[in-house]
Amino acid sequence: MDIYDVLLRDFPFLLKGLGVAIVLLAALLVIGFVLGMGICLVQLYGPRSRLVQWPLVLYERIFRGVPIIIMLFIFFYGISGVWDISAFGAAVLAMGLRSAAYQSQIFRSAFQSVPAGQMMAARAMGMSKIMAIRHIVFPQAARHAIGPWTNEFSSEIKETSLAYVIGVVELTRQAHYIITSTQGNVLTVFAVVALLYFILNRTGNSLLYALERKLAVPGFEK
Amino acid sequence: MREFIEFGIEWLPELLMGVPVTLSLWVIAITLGFFLGLVLCWARVYGNLFFYWISTAYVELFRGTPMLVQMFFIYLGLPHLGIVFDAFTAAVIAITLNSAAYQAEYFRGSVLSVPKGQLVAARSCGMTQWQAIRYIMLPQALRRVIPQWSNEAIIELKFTSIAYTIGVVEITSIASDIGSRTLDFFMVFLWAGVIYLVLTSTVASLLGLLERRTYVPGVTNV
Amino acid sequence: MADDLILDVQDVKKAYDGLEVLKGIGFGLRKGETKVLIGPSGSGKSTLLRCINHLTVPDAGRIYLNGDEVLDTNIDAMRARMGFVFQDFNLFSHLTVLDNVRICQIKVNGTEKAAATQRAHRELERVGLSDKADAYPAELSGGQQQRVSIARALAMDPDVLLFDEPTSALDPELTGEVVRVMQQLAAEGMTMVVVTHEMSFARQAADEIIFMEDGHIIEQGPPETMFTDSTHERTRAFLNVIAEHG
Repeated sequence: MDIYDVLLRDFPFLLKGLGVAIVLLAALLVIGFVLGMGICLVQLYGPRSRLVQWPLVLYERIFRGVPIIIMLFIFFYGISGVWDISAFGAAVLAMGLRSAAYQSQIFRSAFQSVPAGQMMAARAMGMSKIMAIRHIVFPQAARHAIGPWTNEFSSEIKETSLAYVIGVVELTRQAHYIITSTQGNVLTVFAVVALLYFILNRTGNSLLYALERKLAVPGFEK
Repeated sequence: MREFIEFGIEWLPELLMGVPVTLSLWVIAITLGFFLGLVLCWARVYGNLFFYWISTAYVELFRGTPMLVQMFFIYLGLPHLGIVFDAFTAAVIAITLNSAAYQAEYFRGSVLSVPKGQLVAARSCGMTQWQAIRYIMLPQALRRVIPQWSNEAIIELKFTSIAYTIGVVEITSIASDIGSRTLDFFMVFLWAGVIYLVLTSTVASLLGLLERRTYVPGVTNV
Repeated sequence: MADDLILDVQDVKKAYDGLEVLKGIGFGLRKGETKVLIGPSGSGKSTLLRCINHLTVPDAGRIYLNGDEVLDTNIDAMRARMGFVFQDFNLFSHLTVLDNVRICQIKVNGTEKAAATQRAHRELERVGLSDKADAYPAELSGGQQQRVSIARALAMDPDVLLFDEPTSALDPELTGEVVRVMQQLAAEGMTMVVVTHEMSFARQAADEIIFMEDGHIIEQGPPETMFTDSTHERTRAFLNVIAEHG
């Protein structure tokens, strides 16, 4: 059979897989953002007590030190032992919690790259600590964070493919299905799959870059 | 907890047999990736338009698509063109090619961060361009790149687990195998996670040591 | 407490790791007065200034602003009534000049945006920068940034302005424009405490000069006495060094 026919016939399945990958990506990034921001704020402005700070350090170490495939298996088999969870749910959770460990560090260095004088000046003008964080430190930190966050976004797109190992029917697994049913088009199918990831990555990067440009402040150090 | 330890006593020896495989996969791939990365970096910074273009396309392509897809392409796709590799070689090639793209980018960043005056000064005291690069540029650029390079090396160490999907018998694959024999996937992957955590932490400390050993005031930050 | 003091600093002490930086400092400031703190580096001038608005929390002593004691509990409200000008400006880097001068009026004092804008333009005009309202801090010279930061402090309608070595981070050719603005403010009757090495400013604009060394006030008095016939050897030695190098 002609490869173009195969592609025409199978492309809808690939798009469906792409859709699953995008939903997974969005969900894990949101979880990672909210949790990561929370961790970062506690680390920077929370109580200095070891009881609070140590578990956070441990959390980051573990999620950054263990391969995502292992985490996916641990979450999938660990949770499904006590509670009925779909492979997709386990993937969202494992990858979201893991992304939080990375995002918290991105946010932390972004906050730390705002000179201490900015907070001091805001406080000297009578702003409370929370107001100073909200109006002065956060807007600057956000600008510092967009670049590294774009990198995190890129790696997470690619890592959604690993949800394949616990059976989430995302783009890579759809490709695998197609290959097993239609021998002989492996190269084409994977080339198309690679192209889809590439386009998704590029589109996301361009949007984030546009955001960065839009928020750019003349002379504001990178 | 007791269950966890008992499981470990029974199965850890078998799991640990994967460690040499994982480590050799990693060491071979990042070493080859290092040299390929240097070449790509050279092509992008000093090469003519042709080399620049080839190198840029390579870097974009490999950074824009998932490692899993790259590995499938090499292991499952290339045989259709008559190019056949065993699983271990295919994994080495995939990780090498992927890592080279990232290493090239980090090298480029650090080469560009060495002040132009350094090369000018080297040339003006009679060095050839090659000498200037070899004795002045590289020692500074390589020192500066250590932190990012360490990160990249650790990411690739975790990525070796992807080789499991094409059947390389490394830690993850042995874990999955033990899982299907004991039907206790959760425990075995917890133990696999511990092994990876020990590996990544050890590598991180060793690379941190390297960074401190090569520290030169004013060239790198502590 | 003397009745008409705007700022009353009583017996302020501060130590870092057992090293006493301020060993019990007190002075007062009447409305419209300008006092200049001078002394060798490490004498505690900047620490004293920072203690006044609790950027550095003093270990002991009391500070009153218009009769109200400055405490940790009311610190934000008290700071809103004291303008502070930093050595390194600390303009908010992500905001335009106009927004720098507006934001605390709006967020801290609750001023309407229109009124805050009007006030901001007035203060920018006062420091001679009305044409820079839309610029970002990084687009300005150091001298211009410092003038914006003075406008930012003035816009809060403070009872007193505190200057922490406002010209020390500037190239010599840029100090003049900042000093002129400060002289003009002193002449207009602004109440100010200034830590500086600019002796020309001290000489012309100060009502009183306070010489500090080793965490103590060694001597204080009107500039004419301090500069010409100081009774203290330490003060004379310091002024001689400044005269030679400054």
